[in-house]
Amino acid sequence: MKLLGILIGCGLAAGAASNNSVLIRGADVYPVTSAPVKGVSILVLDGKIAEIGAKIVVPKGVRVVDGKGLRVYPGMIDSGTELGLSEIEMIRETVDTGELGEFMPQLRALAAVNPDSEHFAVVRIAGITSVMTFPAGTGGGEGGGGRGRPPQYISGQAALIHTFGRTWEDMAVSGSAAVQVRFPILGPPGGRGGPVPENIAGLAGETGAVTFTEMTRTYQQEVAKLADFFDEARRYQKAKAANLPGFVRDLKYEAMLPVLDGKLPVAIAAATPRSIHDAIQFAEKQNVKIVIMQPRELGSAAAELKAKNIPVILGRVLALPRGQDDPYDQAFTLPGEAYKAGIKFAFGTFDNQFVRNLPYQAATAVAFGLPQEEALKAITINPAQIWGAGDQLGSLEKDKSADLMVTTGDPLEIQTQVKHVFIRGQEIELSSKQTRLYDKYLNRQ
Amino acid sequence: MRKLVPALLLLCAWAIAENPRTLAIRNAKIVTVSGPVIDKGTVVVRNGLIEAVGENLAVPAGAWVIDGEGMTVYPGLIDSLSTVGIPSLAPPPAGRGGRGQTTTTPAPPPSPATAPATAAAPVTPAKGPEDRPATTSWILAANEIDPSDHRIESVRSAGFTTTVTFPARAIFGGQGSIIDLASAERAGEMVVVPAVGQYLAVSRGGGMFGGFGAGFPNALMGYIAYIRQIYLDAEHYKLLKEAYAHSPRGMERPPYDRALEGVLESKRILLPANRVVEMDRMLRFAAELQQPVILYGMREAYRPEAAPLLKKYGSPVLVSMHWSEAPRDPDPEAYRTMRSLENIDQGPAAPGLLQKAGVPFALYSDGLDQPRELQRAVKKAIDAGLARQDAIRALTLSPAEIYGVADRMGSIEAGKIANLVVTKGDLFDDHTQIEMIFVDGKQYKPAPEPPAGGGRGATEEPGVSQ
Amino acid sequence: MRKSWIVALAALAPLYAQNIVIQNATIMTVTKGTLQGSVVIKDGKIAEVGEKVMMPQNATVIDAGGQYVIPGIIDCHSHIAVDGNVNEGSVSVSSMVNIKDVINPEDIAIYRALAGGVTTANILHGSANPIGGQTLVLKMRWGKDAQGMIFEGAMPGIKFALGENPKRSGNPQGGRGATQTAARYPATRMGVEDTIREALNEAKDYKAEWDEYGAKVARGEHPIPPRKDLKLEPLKEVLEGKRYVHAHCYREDEILMLLRVADDYGFKIRTLQHVLEGYKVAEEIAASGTGASTFSDWWAYKIEAYDAIPYNAALMQKKGIVVSLNSDDEELMRHLNTEAAKAMKYGGMNETDALAMVTINPAKQLGIDGRVGSIEAGKDADLAIYDKYPLSDYAKVQKVLIDGQLYFDRDSDVSGRPAKALEKQKLIEKEKQSQPKPAGGRRPVE
Repeated sequence: MKLLGILIGCGLAAGAASNNSVLIRGADVYPVTSAPVKGVSILVLDGKIAEIGAKIVVPKGVRVVDGKGLRVYPGMIDSGTELGLSEIEMIRETVDTGELGEFMPQLRALAAVNPDSEHFAVVRIAGITSVMTFPAGTGGGEGGGGRGRPPQYISGQAALIHTFGRTWEDMAVSGSAAVQVRFPILGPPGGRGGPVPENIAGLAGETGAVTFTEMTRTYQQEVAKLADFFDEARRYQKAKAANLPGFVRDLKYEAMLPVLDGKLPVAIAAATPRSIHDAIQFAEKQNVKIVIMQPRELGSAAAELKAKNIPVILGRVLALPRGQDDPYDQAFTLPGEAYKAGIKFAFGTFDNQFVRNLPYQAATAVAFGLPQEEALKAITINPAQIWGAGDQLGSLEKDKSADLMVTTGDPLEIQTQVKHVFIRGQEIELSSKQTRLYDKYLNRQ
Repeated sequence: MRKLVPALLLLCAWAIAENPRTLAIRNAKIVTVSGPVIDKGTVVVRNGLIEAVGENLAVPAGAWVIDGEGMTVYPGLIDSLSTVGIPSLAPPPAGRGGRGQTTTTPAPPPSPATAPATAAAPVTPAKGPEDRPATTSWILAANEIDPSDHRIESVRSAGFTTTVTFPARAIFGGQGSIIDLASAERAGEMVVVPAVGQYLAVSRGGGMFGGFGAGFPNALMGYIAYIRQIYLDAEHYKLLKEAYAHSPRGMERPPYDRALEGVLESKRILLPANRVVEMDRMLRFAAELQQPVILYGMREAYRPEAAPLLKKYGSPVLVSMHWSEAPRDPDPEAYRTMRSLENIDQGPAAPGLLQKAGVPFALYSDGLDQPRELQRAVKKAIDAGLARQDAIRALTLSPAEIYGVADRMGSIEAGKIANLVVTKGDLFDDHTQIEMIFVDGKQYKPAPEPPAGGGRGATEEPGVSQ
Repeated sequence: MRKSWIVALAALAPLYAQNIVIQNATIMTVTKGTLQGSVVIKDGKIAEVGEKVMMPQNATVIDAGGQYVIPGIIDCHSHIAVDGNVNEGSVSVSSMVNIKDVINPEDIAIYRALAGGVTTANILHGSANPIGGQTLVLKMRWGKDAQGMIFEGAMPGIKFALGENPKRSGNPQGGRGATQTAARYPATRMGVEDTIREALNEAKDYKAEWDEYGAKVARGEHPIPPRKDLKLEPLKEVLEGKRYVHAHCYREDEILMLLRVADDYGFKIRTLQHVLEGYKVAEEIAASGTGASTFSDWWAYKIEAYDAIPYNAALMQKKGIVVSLNSDDEELMRHLNTEAAKAMKYGGMNETDALAMVTINPAKQLGIDGRVGSIEAGKDADLAIYDKYPLSDYAKVQKVLIDGQLYFDRDSDVSGRPAKALEKQKLIEKEKQSQPKPAGGRRPVE
C-alpha cells in the first residue's frame, strides 16, 4: 500500500481497476474555463479527467457515482494558508511557521507539512482540494519581524499542496511555488501600516511619531539590504554558470536561482498602493516575477497591476475597513474593484481555522459587486495559473488532475452540501475529527 | 514675608528700591477685568495689596512711582491647573515623551503611591479597592511646595502670578492649593488657599492584554469602580466615626483611614474629560457621587454637543491650552482620522464657543511652561474666536470665581492681592513685551527668553520622576 | 465626518419618526412563519404584520419588493462600544467594574454592526478572570449618547470565565499575552472553581449581613448599615436571581463544574458563552435550563478549542438547549446572518431554527424576548431589511430600523461617501498649507 501510494504520487500507477478512476454520471458539470453543461458524465481515469460528455462508455471496473441533481466543480484552491505547518495557533510547539534568520529562501514549507494534521480533513471535505502553504505564516499580514524578533526579509519557499496524501511527497503539487519575501514597509517601526488607534492618536496630538524622514531612511536601508542579497545571489548565479574555480555551493543562493531565472515568483504582502508600487518597482529592478498578497487598498496601484500583468491574492474579504473613516464595506468591495480594473486575482483565507470558508469569502465579494463566475475562477483556475499549475489544476478539462467536488448546488452558498470530493481521482472519505465527534456525541447514551 | 522685610532691609538696600512697600503705576492703561478699562489711570499698591485704582488718583507720599505711559496693567494671570511648585511633578523634558507634552489624564505611577516622591520600593500590586491604590488623597499641595522649582520663574515670566497647583498623581492625587508665584524663602508665604479640591485622574488601561496580571485598577472601568467604592467607604466611615464619637463605650473602634479622611475633607473634585463622551460620563459620575465638580481637559469642547451638555450640568470646566498639533514631518500617506484632523483644526475654537454658550471656564497651561509657548497658545484661542477680554478673563477672574477666591484675586480692585502684569502692547499679541510682574506687590522682571528652539529640556530638573 | 452622518440621519429621521409601512416584502417573523406582505410600525413598535394590513394615516412607505425583512439581529457576545480595556484583569474577581460606566457610543464598530443588521448586543467584560465585570445590553442606536444606547429594562449581567484565559495570569511565563508580572491566582481549572466558590461564599455572608440589617430596620431599630461592597453587590444580586451570569467556557469539564457550583449556591447560569464542548454535555446543560451561545465554526486557535465542531449549535439545539450564535468579534458581528446559515449546513437546522439562533434565541437568553427577537405586533420595531434571502452570503443589508427609526440605509451610506471624502481632504489640505514644507520629496527605491 505504501509502495502503491508512492507510485500514485509519482503518477506512474496505471490500471483501470485502481481506486483513482471513476465515472460521475448525469451531473451538471461546471468546468469553470467553459460554459456549464447539464446532465452529462465525467470520466476519471488514473487520477486524470479523461472525458466529459453525454454518452460515455464505462470502462470495465470503473466505479460509477450517480450525479443526478448534483453539480461537479473543480476542487477549490486557497492561496493563503499555513496548513500542515500549524495545528493550534497558540501552542508554539504545534506551529512551524516563522523560522529565525534574515534571508532564508532555502527553507521549504513542504518538508514540514504534517499530512496527519486534522486541518486537512476538515478542509478537503468542504471541497478545498489544494492550498498554498506559506513558511512565514499568513495571519500577520505584511512586514518582517514579528513578536520580539529581528526582521526577516525572505521566509522560504511556499508549497502548493493537495489536501490529501499519505506523505507530503504525495501531497505536493509544487514543492516550491513561490518564495515568500517580506518586503520592507515604509511606516512607523514595528507597524503594519495600519492607523494608530483613534483614542491614542486623536486627542494627544499624535506625539512620539517617527518623522517621515526617519522612516524613509530606515526603509531605504532595509530595501538596500534586500537588494544586496539579490545582487549577491546574482553574482553566485554567474559564478556557478562560469564554473569558476573555487566555487562553493551555497544553499541560500541556490534557492534563489529559480527566482532569478524568472521561473519562480516572489510572493510579497503589500497593503497599500504605495507598498504595492514599491514592491513592484523592486521586482522590476531585480527582473523577477512577483505576486502581490493581501492588499487592503488598490487605489492608484490598480492600473499598474493591470498594465504589468501582476497577479494578486486577495483576502481576507471578511475584514474590517482599514481606518475608522473608511466605508464599512471596503474589504467586501475590493475584489469587485480588482475585477473592474482587469487585475488577475485569487482568494486566500489567511487563517487556518477559516480555510473552509474560502467560498463564503468569495461569495461576500459577489454580494458587493464581483460577478459570481469571477469569484469561482478566483478559487479555482486563477490560483492554479498564478501558482504555476494551470495545466494541472483549477478546471475540468481533459488530462487535468481529477480534483473534483460534487455538490448539491452553488459552492459559494453556505447551505450547499458537498457530496463527494475527489483528489487525483481518489474519492475522499467525507469524515474529519469534527464529523466523528459529532457522530459520537449525537448518539451519546 | 512681612516679618522678613526688616531683615531684608538691613541685608540689601537695593531691595528697597526694587520692592518698596508702597508703589504707584501712573498714566497706564488699566484692564481691571471686573470693571471697564481705564485708559489712563493709576494703581496704588501698599503692603502687597491693591490700595486703590482709578483715573485721577493722588500718589501717596513716599511711594515708588512707575511711569506707566504706553503700558497696560492687567491682573496677574492664574493657571487654573498646574503642578508648578512641585518639582517632582514637572513634565518630562522634550525628546523623551515625543514633544514633551503631558496628557490631561496622566497614567498613575507604576506602583501605588503611598507617599509622594518616595524612593521606588517594590510594592505588591493592589488587589482591590481596600489596598487604596494610587491614592494620596490626604496630601495638600501647599505642604509640598518647593520655592526652588525652576518653573516658577519661567511661568511667572509669561505673566502668571498664581497657579492652582495640584499634587497631580493618579488616582486620588490630593488637594490642590492656590499659590502665588513669589520668590519666597518659605513655601508657606506663597500659599493663598491651602485646599481647593481633590485631583482625580484615570487611565484608559493598557493594551489588548494589558488586563492580564497588573495591579488593580487597570481598566478605565476599574478606575471608576475604585473611585465609586472610595466614596461609598467614605460615607460609611463618616457614619462609624460619628457613632463612635457619640458613644465610644461598647463600640468597636473604626480604624483610621487617611485615604478617606482626605476625600471627606475635599469640598470639590476635579475630573478629567476630553471627549464629549467623557464629559457626559464624568458629569453623571460626579452627580452620582454628589460631589461638586470641575472638569479638566476639554479637548473636544468645540464639538456642537459639548456646550449644551456642560450648560445642562452647570459645572465649570478647565480647558487645556495644550492644543493638538499637526504632526511634524508626517508620512504623507499615514492614515489620518477625521477626528484628529478636526481636533487639530478646531481645538482652539473651544474657549470661544464655551464663552458664547455661557459655560463657566478657565484656561490652563497643561504642561506648557515657556512664556513663548503660553503666549502662542492663548493667541491661538483668540485667533479661533475668543475675544481678547474673554481670554484675559479666562486666565484671571474666571479661575478665581471657579475656585471661590474672586474676593481676593482675579481683577484689579481695591483690597485685592496686588498681582499685576505690566506690558507694552496688548497681552497675548505676538510682539508684546511683558515689562514687569507684581506678585503680592513685589516686582519681578521677566526672565530672559531662552534661545529659540532651546525647549524646556534645558530648564528641567534631571532625574525627576514622571 | 461623523457630523455629516448625523445630519444625514437627522434628515431621514422625521420621515420615519411616526408611522411606517414596509411593504411587498418577504417577512421572516421567526416566531410566526414567513409570509409575503407588510409590516406596520407605529410609534416605534410593530403594530401589524400580515399579507394585508390596515394602512395607517400619514405613513411613510418603504417598498421592499423582492427584499426580505427579518428581526434585527441580536449578538449575545460582544465587546464593542467600550472605552478602555475590556478586562479589569488585575484581580481574580473584578465584579466591581461595570461596562455601563464605560459605554462609548462613538465606537465606529456600532455603525458597522448596524450595517450588518445587528440592532442589539450583549456587551461583556473580557475573560481575564474567573469572575469578571458587570455587563449590559445595548441597542445600536448610533448617534445617541451613552445612556441612549442602553436597552431599557434589560436584566444586567455579569461575566464569569473558565479555562485557559482566566488561568493565564497564573502562568505568567506561558502563553501569548502573558506578562512579566507576578503570578495571579488561579493558574489551573481547579483554582478557577475555587475562586468562584470563595467569591460566592463571601457574597452569601454579605447577603446575610444585609438581610440582618434589613430585618433590624424593619423592626424599627436604627443600626449602622454594613459597608457597601461593590465587588459583592453584583454577586449578591446573582444569588437573588437579579443578575444573569454569562459564563465564558470551552471544555466539558469546566462547563459541568460551573453548573454544579451554581446548583450548590442555588442560582442558575443564564448562558454559557462559547461553550465549544457544550455538545459533549448537552444533556446536562439542557437539564439545568441554561442557554448556550456559541461560535458557528471557530476551532483550533487554542488547545481548548481543538475539539470544537461546527455541529455544536445544531447538536445542542437538538438536545433541547436554547442556542444562539454570537460573534465576540467586531468583524464577525457584521454577518451573523451567515453564521446562522452555517447551522443549516452543519447539522441540518431548518431555516427558522437557524435564524432563531441570531434573533429570538439570544433575546430569550437575555430576557428581552418580550421586546425583540421576532416580528410580532407589539414588539419593538427593530428590523433588518436584506436585498436577498438573508441566510445566504450573497445577501446584504439595505436598511436597519431600531424602535421604528432608520439607523442604517445603504443607499444613503454609499451616496454620502464622496462628500465625506471631500470634507476630509479639505481638512488635510488646510493642515498642509498651515505647515512649513519639509525638505525633500519622495524617496527613490533602491
